[in-house]
Formats: sequence, structure tokens, C-alpha cells
Amino acid sequence: MNFTDFDFGQLLSFGAGDETNPLMMLIWILPIIIFVFYGQRIQLYITSGEIKKGIKKLDTFRDESRTELVGYVKKNLNPRHDPTEKLDCFLEYFTIMPVDMDPNGIVEKVRHTVRSREDYTREHVRSLSPGIIETELSKVQTLLEIASSLQMFHRIINHMYLTAKKQNNYPLILPLQMLLPFIMEQAEAMRDAIPAFKAGQPVGDGIGPMVVGRMMQSLPKETVSFQTSLAQTEFEGRSLFLLKAEGPGSTVGRPADGLENLISKNHLDAIVMVDAALKMEGEDSASIAQGFGAAIGGIGTERFQIEEIATKSGIPIFSIVVKQSVREAITLMTKEIAEQADTVTSQVYDIIKDNTKPGQSVLVIGVGNTVGVPQ
Amino acid sequence: MIFSKKKKITIAYTVERCPKCKSIKKREFSKGDVLFSESSGCQSCDRTMMIEKIYGETVE
Repeated sequence: MNFTDFDFGQLLSFGAGDETNPLMMLIWILPIIIFVFYGQRIQLYITSGEIKKGIKKLDTFRDESRTELVGYVKKNLNPRHDPTEKLDCFLEYFTIMPVDMDPNGIVEKVRHTVRSREDYTREHVRSLSPGIIETELSKVQTLLEIASSLQMFHRIINHMYLTAKKQNNYPLILPLQMLLPFIMEQAEAMRDAIPAFKAGQPVGDGIGPMVVGRMMQSLPKETVSFQTSLAQTEFEGRSLFLLKAEGPGSTVGRPADGLENLISKNHLDAIVMVDAALKMEGEDSASIAQGFGAAIGGIGTERFQIEEIATKSGIPIFSIVVKQSVREAITLMTKEIAEQADTVTSQVYDIIKDNTKPGQSVLVIGVGNTVGVPQ
Repeated sequence: MIFSKKKKITIAYTVERCPKCKSIKKREFSKGDVLFSESSGCQSCDRTMMIEKIYGETVE
């Protein structure tokens, strides 16, 4: 047989319009049949490849954070016994949130549950090395939170992936595919946050404490609530109260309890809150915005308490936020954010001048994690 | 490689400021540096400089 004059064009009928060629019909019909019956399964395989890569990354992050935590505790806390087993046990802790079928009193319950967990973890970390200083204790607590969050991310994503694969269920994998980029962004941010917390360097979220801490410099301070510091000064005839978490440890303090204590002894005419806020896509990092209402993140219990006190006493709350990404908020503070401290400080004074009169009292709260930021 | 991502490294810096002559000195962060704490002596005058900022700069 002579293969040299084989006419491929004729065989495949490209451009010839011969629709009766059986080979051509097979080429067109076969993929249609395959996609009709196995389309979802093919998509499942393609998508699961991407998700597998994400899970592998999460697994690496989880191991890295655990290794960093164990290494840090061994090096800096000089524990009497090997802390690995105990730390692994801490990483497995879970929190069961209160039942919300009857929302009445839910905030108190959530606050109690979360604080119980914090107190329990703190005391058990302290038991590893009874002589540990508070700054180191708070750092270990934060590293523990990071490692345990990364462990949780890995566990949930892996569970969703394996369930979808086990059931050969493509729709089940779709929400995972949509969620994964956001989870990976958070996980990568957490992994990158570890060096800053270990070194005790300020993070992006610390811009609020940084601004207020600078205003508190050289003033006498008192502890107004757990891990929360208060100072008092004068500004153009106004009485100025300055409140922030007690640095340079890694803590956000309890500003709402601080406000409650303060309001029981003093009258306030305005509250100014300075915090970091998550920027939207397209917004410039380190841009400043002013607004109304309590600028404070977390699970909402602190905000609820502050809003309740402010509402009962009729105190207006003014807020200044410095916008940043998730990553910037928990990793070493960027130059752009640090350089906004002067502008934010002058805006705080402007708000006080514009909204209060001489003789009145104002509370300025620096909200955020105060790691590396003393007062 | 055309499609390989350039690795980014963040270097931590400490910025010191003299409270008297306001001169500024930027150096790499060293362990124990804490904001608002006293640092090295000012080269222009005799005062002790204060740590004003600690931040990271990313290089590729």
C-alpha cells in the first residue's frame, strides 16, 4: 500500500462538507457522548487537582507553624519537660459556641466561652514555664492561635475534599473551589505572620495602639482592665483619656471593660476609636478613612459592649481607620502604614477640636494587637 | 524561568529619631527593639535617640 499519497483532507473531510464520512461523525459524536455522561466527573478530576495542591500547601503551613511553635517554646521558655505533647494537645482544642435559637443574652454567653478558652490556654501555657514573663506568654498564645487556626483550615478543607471525592459529587466540590483562594490568602498571611510575632515586631493591626501609645508617652499609666492601659492628659482645655492594650506583648486587651470602668467614675462627651480596617479590592493600602460607630473587630462582643455603654450614656463614637489587606494586618507593619501614624494623630486632635468644647472629656481608644508597641 | 514568581523578602527596619535635633537614623531591626524606647546616641548631638518606627520593606 502506498502511504505517500494518503489524503488526510479527504479522510477528515475538512472543508469538504461531506457529512456522511463515518470517521468524521465518530470524531464529533464521541466527545459529545463522553461529555454528556462523564462531564462532571472530568471537571471533578480537574478541580480536585487544584484543590489537592491547596491542601498540600495547607499541610505544609500547618507543619511549619507547629514546628515554629514547639521550637519557640523550647528555646525561649526553657520548659522543665518536653512541651511537644502538651502543645499538640492545645492545638486540638475546639470551642463550642452557645446555642443561638434564643438569641437573648447570647453576647454574654459568647464572651464567657471565648474568655474561658483564653484564660484556660494562658494558664496552661504558663504551666509549661511558671516563671514566664507576660510578654512572652502572650507571644506563645498568639503562635498557638495561629498554629491551631492553620490546623483547622487544613482539617476542614481536607474533609470537604475527601467527602466530595468519596461521593464522586461534583457540586459538593464547587463551594470548596470558590472558597479556597480566600482561605489560602488567610493561611498564607498567618504563615507569614509568625516571624513578626516571634520577634515582637509591630504588625499592621497595631496602628491604633501605635498612635495612642505615642500620645501616652511620658504620661502616668494605670491598668484599667485586663491587659489594658489608661492614661489621662489635657488637650486645649479638654480632659483626654487614652486607652490601649498593654504592650509590647501580643494582645488586644479588653477595651470594653476599660470603658466600663472609666465611665463608672468619669463623664465622657465623646469617644474616638483608631483601628485598622480591611481594605476593599482596588482601594489603596494605608489609606485613612473617618466615620461613625465603634471601629473594633473580633467576634463582636467588645463592639456590642462599647455600643451599649455609648448608647446608654448618649456618647457619640467617632472612628478613624487605616485600610490594609488581611496579610498586612497580621504581618510586620509596612512602611506606608507606619508613616500614616502622624496623619492619624493630627486627625484625632482635629476630631476632638471639632466635636467637643473646652471643659469636656474625650476618650481615645487605640484598637488592635499591640505586639511591639508599648505605651 | 519566565513564569516563575520572584521571591519577595521583607527586611525589618528601625527608625530612630533624636528628640532634640530631630535627626533621623534608619537601620536594620535588631532583637529587642521596641517602639518608643531609648536607643543609640545621636551623632549630631549628645541626646539618646528614640525608636519612632519599626516597619518592613519588601525587596524582590
